[in-house]
Amino acid sequence: MTYAVSEIRSVGKPRRKRLSHAAIEPWLYLSPAIILLVVVLLVPLVIGISYSFRKFSAFKSEYVGLGQYQAMLSDQVLGQALVNTLWWTVASLFFQFFLGLGLALLLDKPFRGRKAVQALVFLPWAVPSFLSGLTWAWLFNPIIGPLPHWLFALGLKAEPTNVLSDPSTAMWGPIVANIWFGIPFFAITLLAALKSIPSELHEAAAIDGASPWQRFTKVTLPFLAPTIAITVMLRTIWIATFADLIFVMTEGGPAGSTNTVPVYIYVSAFKSLDKGYASAVAVLLLVLLIAYAIALIGIRRTLVRHV
Amino acid sequence: MASVTLEKVRKDYGAVRVLHAVDLEIADGEFVVLVGPSGCGKSTLLRMIAGLEEASGGEIRIGERLVNDVAPKDRDIAMVFQSYALYPHMDVSKNMGFSLLLKKAEKATIDSRVDGAAKRLGLDTFLQRLPRQLSGGQRQRVAMGRAIVRDPKVFLFDEPLSNLDAKLRVHMRAEIKALHQQLKTTSVYVTHDQIEAMTMADRIVVMHDGLIQQVGAPLDLYDRPANMFVAGFIGSPGMNFLPATVRKGATLEAVLADGQALRLPEGLPLTHGDAITVGLRPEHIKLADEGALKGEVGVVEPLGLSTQFYVKLASQQLCVFAMGRAGVKSGDVVRLAAEPDQLHLFDAKSGERIG
Repeated sequence: MTYAVSEIRSVGKPRRKRLSHAAIEPWLYLSPAIILLVVVLLVPLVIGISYSFRKFSAFKSEYVGLGQYQAMLSDQVLGQALVNTLWWTVASLFFQFFLGLGLALLLDKPFRGRKAVQALVFLPWAVPSFLSGLTWAWLFNPIIGPLPHWLFALGLKAEPTNVLSDPSTAMWGPIVANIWFGIPFFAITLLAALKSIPSELHEAAAIDGASPWQRFTKVTLPFLAPTIAITVMLRTIWIATFADLIFVMTEGGPAGSTNTVPVYIYVSAFKSLDKGYASAVAVLLLVLLIAYAIALIGIRRTLVRHV
Repeated sequence: MASVTLEKVRKDYGAVRVLHAVDLEIADGEFVVLVGPSGCGKSTLLRMIAGLEEASGGEIRIGERLVNDVAPKDRDIAMVFQSYALYPHMDVSKNMGFSLLLKKAEKATIDSRVDGAAKRLGLDTFLQRLPRQLSGGQRQRVAMGRAIVRDPKVFLFDEPLSNLDAKLRVHMRAEIKALHQQLKTTSVYVTHDQIEAMTMADRIVVMHDGLIQQVGAPLDLYDRPANMFVAGFIGSPGMNFLPATVRKGATLEAVLADGQALRLPEGLPLTHGDAITVGLRPEHIKLADEGALKGEVGVVEPLGLSTQFYVKLASQQLCVFAMGRAGVKSGDVVRLAAEPDQLHLFDAKSGERIG
């Protein structure tokens, strides 16, 4: 069939109108969710970032542009806090992960009372971080806690003093508390991942001639890899932004030796009452963590492809 | 290749005995099917041959070698699992070559063996694919390829076709059988499907409640089932069972619950008043004007090639199988006959075959 060109045009016009309707319609359906997301997530984020361009004093605030960011460049306390954060995060994560993985592998084996042990393992996770911080601070205190005396008896310390009061060892206090606090997370998530490996796969590998170590590296680990990547990423972000334990145990001291970035942000905002500067530091931490997450997701992609 | 010998093999889980002193001799190159309902111990037995379960007692030999304490990898067996158990992160060629890689075989050897197996199974164009990119039938083939590549003494199959749809199952059944005819490797195959057992096996081992009920060639089991369990399990549609009492008059007869009587073959160790169960295969019951049995037709199931219908008789539904169109309809009163020598007689109490 043939149509005159004008005819096609006249048909096309109302159709375009309908198209624009069709283009808007789905957004209307999505609008409740979008509005909620914008109000709850985006607005506070933008306001928070906007604070980093202002200077706050007792009763007023003024726009200072990139002034706060310039101040960060010459802030040696911040530099130290970044190094501390790195140390705190890496050490906590390393021990949490490997001890958690070991625990998960143990809990994956059948034994009497496994259910009860699994429930117990999860317990530290349920303890409020303030409470665990206080408890660990007391444990490290030579007057009421046993740990300094045990360390002394084992010959690891020359005198039964508080590790938290020595700048060279203070960071280990919160790190140990954090390891205790964070192992359950890895143990439980990795245990769930382990449970999802079909037992027939291990049996097939056993028949194929794989030793227990080969079964672990060639079957278990590839299966766990996606879970490991995601949990390590989450934990890193949580640990890096986790200030409660340190603040309760040392308040960033002594002599700034346990001063991590989140502690510094808290101190800047609520002790020095420099909300603008605290916001600028928070933005820096946010950018660093986003960069880290992107890098890790990239690594995970290549890993999964090459396994 | 090798024979497999089981001697008084037992398996206990705590106080529960799931296998009672199993004796079985599987000849070199034989295709033996272990069949039975779920929970009969057939998979446990297979896993014990594989070394995935420890025997609680008895001896397992592959060839001349006692393997009770030999690790699965050193038993020189290959197993195909119901779920296929393919390594999801390895492509087809790595899946198939994994065992050789672990044995530190030369790369050229691995490649040639994998290629050979892949060609045989029609997988040569899929070698670089991951299991999740394959269909169910292809995965099944990869699982078989993994077994073939090892060139083992014994193949063990644990319900390998259960996860396939009906059509593919029929196809793979024929393929596995053809493969066995080429390779002639001793095979032990576990299934709950008696049709698979009948079509594939050189010999069938029927198991129930952790005991071997009967061992024999498929048609031997069909023609002379040793007890009521085997009789009911082998054959589809299943055998009809009618409780009856023996009457010795001029001829030997079985009197059914409603008083109707069936002639029995002569020369059996039966005495007047014996309680027996008469087994009748549906295809051995014929419509006949002078038939000894009378009943009303219930459900009629025409299948085109054949017709299956049920006749209400002695307060039971008797299944009758006829080729073509049976020419009966629901509500008809029909007379049925059965040849005396086609009856299967069982002791009513023990369920064992009589004669």
